[in-house]
Amino acid sequence: MTTPEFLPSWPLPANSFALFGLLLLAGVVGGRVAATTRILPAITGYIATGFLLGPGVLNWLDERALADARIFADVSLGIIVFELGRRLDIEWARHDRWLLPTGLAESLVSFAAMAGLLIGLGIDALEAAMMATFGVATAPAVVLLVTRELRADGPVTRRTLWYVALNNIIGILGLVVLLPFVEARATGTPWTPAARSLWLLAGSFLLGYVAYLVMTQIARVVGKATAPQFILTVSMIIVTVGAAQMLRLSVLLALLVLGICAHNLDRHHRLIDVRFGDAAELFFVALFVVTGATLRPAQFTQLAWIGIAFVVARFAGKALALIVLRRPAHITGRQATTVALALTPISGLAIGLTQPIFDVAPEFGARLAAIVAAGIAILHVLGPVATRFALLRAGEGEAEARN
Amino acid sequence: MPLHFKPSAALTLGVELELMLLNTRDWNLAPDADDLLRRAAQNEHRGELKPELTQSMVEINTSVHTAYPALLDELRHTRDVLARHARQMNVALAGGGTHPFQKWSERRIYPTERFLSVSEKYGFLAKQFTVFGQHIHIGCASADDAIYLTHAVTRYVPHLIAIAASSPFYQGVDTMFDSSRLSVVNAFPLSGTMPWVQSWDEFNAYYDRMHGYGIVQSMKDFYWDVRPKPEYGTVEIRVCDTPLTVDRAAQLAGFAQALAGWLFHERPALSADVYLAHSYNRFQACRHGFAGSLIDTTDSRSVGLAEDLQATLRHVRPHARALGAEPALDAIAAAVSGEGNDAAWLRARFTQSGTLADVVRQQSAWFMG
Repeated sequence: MTTPEFLPSWPLPANSFALFGLLLLAGVVGGRVAATTRILPAITGYIATGFLLGPGVLNWLDERALADARIFADVSLGIIVFELGRRLDIEWARHDRWLLPTGLAESLVSFAAMAGLLIGLGIDALEAAMMATFGVATAPAVVLLVTRELRADGPVTRRTLWYVALNNIIGILGLVVLLPFVEARATGTPWTPAARSLWLLAGSFLLGYVAYLVMTQIARVVGKATAPQFILTVSMIIVTVGAAQMLRLSVLLALLVLGICAHNLDRHHRLIDVRFGDAAELFFVALFVVTGATLRPAQFTQLAWIGIAFVVARFAGKALALIVLRRPAHITGRQATTVALALTPISGLAIGLTQPIFDVAPEFGARLAAIVAAGIAILHVLGPVATRFALLRAGEGEAEARN
Repeated sequence: MPLHFKPSAALTLGVELELMLLNTRDWNLAPDADDLLRRAAQNEHRGELKPELTQSMVEINTSVHTAYPALLDELRHTRDVLARHARQMNVALAGGGTHPFQKWSERRIYPTERFLSVSEKYGFLAKQFTVFGQHIHIGCASADDAIYLTHAVTRYVPHLIAIAASSPFYQGVDTMFDSSRLSVVNAFPLSGTMPWVQSWDEFNAYYDRMHGYGIVQSMKDFYWDVRPKPEYGTVEIRVCDTPLTVDRAAQLAGFAQALAGWLFHERPALSADVYLAHSYNRFQACRHGFAGSLIDTTDSRSVGLAEDLQATLRHVRPHARALGAEPALDAIAAAVSGEGNDAAWLRARFTQSGTLADVVRQQSAWFMG
């Protein structure tokens, strides 16, 4: 007996809508479970849900499903990075002459601490520098989402987000500069990788800037009502994410530049500060479930001790720089330590930039992935908790805000 | 135990000014009072800086002055010190009686014993009290003078409200009031006016009964429009919105000082009838500003607020001249005869820009200089 043609074939074909809906349902349950602990942020619940459902444990979300879900994660990352860029107020650095130096110091001292640790463990200096460069950037999504969850606002929150934006830029610039050296060692010629780095850097900056120009011109037409401005902002973010992918540029950098320009260059105040609200939360849940699904149990066991040492060195570097510079920066000791703690989550966003290493120097790529991924995996568990604790300790968030 | 009124030099002058703290990203309120006060404490400035009920408010208390020009200098200096620190913190300051679009439920109580007890006592009214006012203190040589001035100045409360009005927007909407702030104050059970007492002894008898009933613990529990302040030896006028500039704040104080000088000099006869029309007159000023109308209970007629204010300015001008406050009166006369009050300025900015965030940005730029 044959199956009637009007019935669906079995097994049912994958469907992006069903997948997105299921991701959200599973994530929201995980988030609630985490929130009821009163210690963990909802993000930890989203990540844990993804980890359990993903290839690492149950494999209900297999690699193909993850690839389908990636589009939702990319849009939400675009929103987050744009939002982060808007927090990088250049005017602030003009009035507080120690803001940029302390931001540079927290990045560079933590870089030195991580690189020193790895070199001390016998890792080659260039490889150590590459790994430490990864460690410089703080995960924007984690910090921003914990901030939203706690409705945190105040001097520690503001400073933390400014440093997150800065250390992401420093991290990307560092990687783009180091990549040609790593590749040159494997291939003998630095020119192609150098040209690629230049393309990536200049192209991403230019794309972000052009997107800003287009956005302000459209804003002249649509006016300042909230609804059209919301659609304008989200559309420009999606277009810029797509354009960066098509042009093989850095989505992270292009969106960061778009956000920075939107906040700092809009002299005629044509753009309004759109609040993404609860609708955007849908995308953020998807992002963290997908992020959790990319984790593998092995990352927590293999090289875990190096990962932990890496994380500790990173925190120590950031805390040391901020504590030493607290007086000229006019911040209190408690503000310095809570900012350092809030910066704990490591960003895994730049990992995509290192794809060429896997092609030309696979052994190094494997070592890099193992150590950095171990650190990132550990901080996917600890990072959101640390940021939440820091912002509550600073008295700038409400533990019950979203419960 | 009776309240002791500590006399002070007549017509001395002091101002309390509540300011809003803003983030420069979306121009909503920022909970940075603690950090701003900590930083500003490192600088020399006269007077005092204090926290207020919620964490997005700070209060300037000036030192005691005898004349308007020195008060203006001090307010400008303190504003400059605060503005410098605020910029270093990436926050902004602004005047205005209300924040146009903040949501009161998002506010956080500043954690001092007194503010936490106010929050406990008044529930949601405490967070709704995130509104910004100017209090003007006028020195009185005796307790009975303070009782006299409290009653006498009540007739001019609408004038002061209209000049200072700077809260047309509240919780994201145009309230159609020039001063919506006072509607928030009205919700408190001990708001209103001082009872019709004729001397400090009578006042003390009233206070003793209220204290005995357990209704009040101190003078701070009376949220009256005008009240004696025995520990300072002053009468405190509490109806003004915080204006959009410290210059206007000083002008209001200069006008109040000259008005008090005129009242003490002329000693117009007092009548309890002034309180019959007070709520109506006060409403007219809050709702319509200079375009309001007043009931003058002395001759039972209705008069335009602007017209009555112009007449008052003429009456008090000689006293203003003697006290060095004539420029303050000139500025107020210009406002009432055409320039409009701060509420009109805010509405014009909204018409021009179309968003309340833009309005706040512009009012902050104007305040910070």
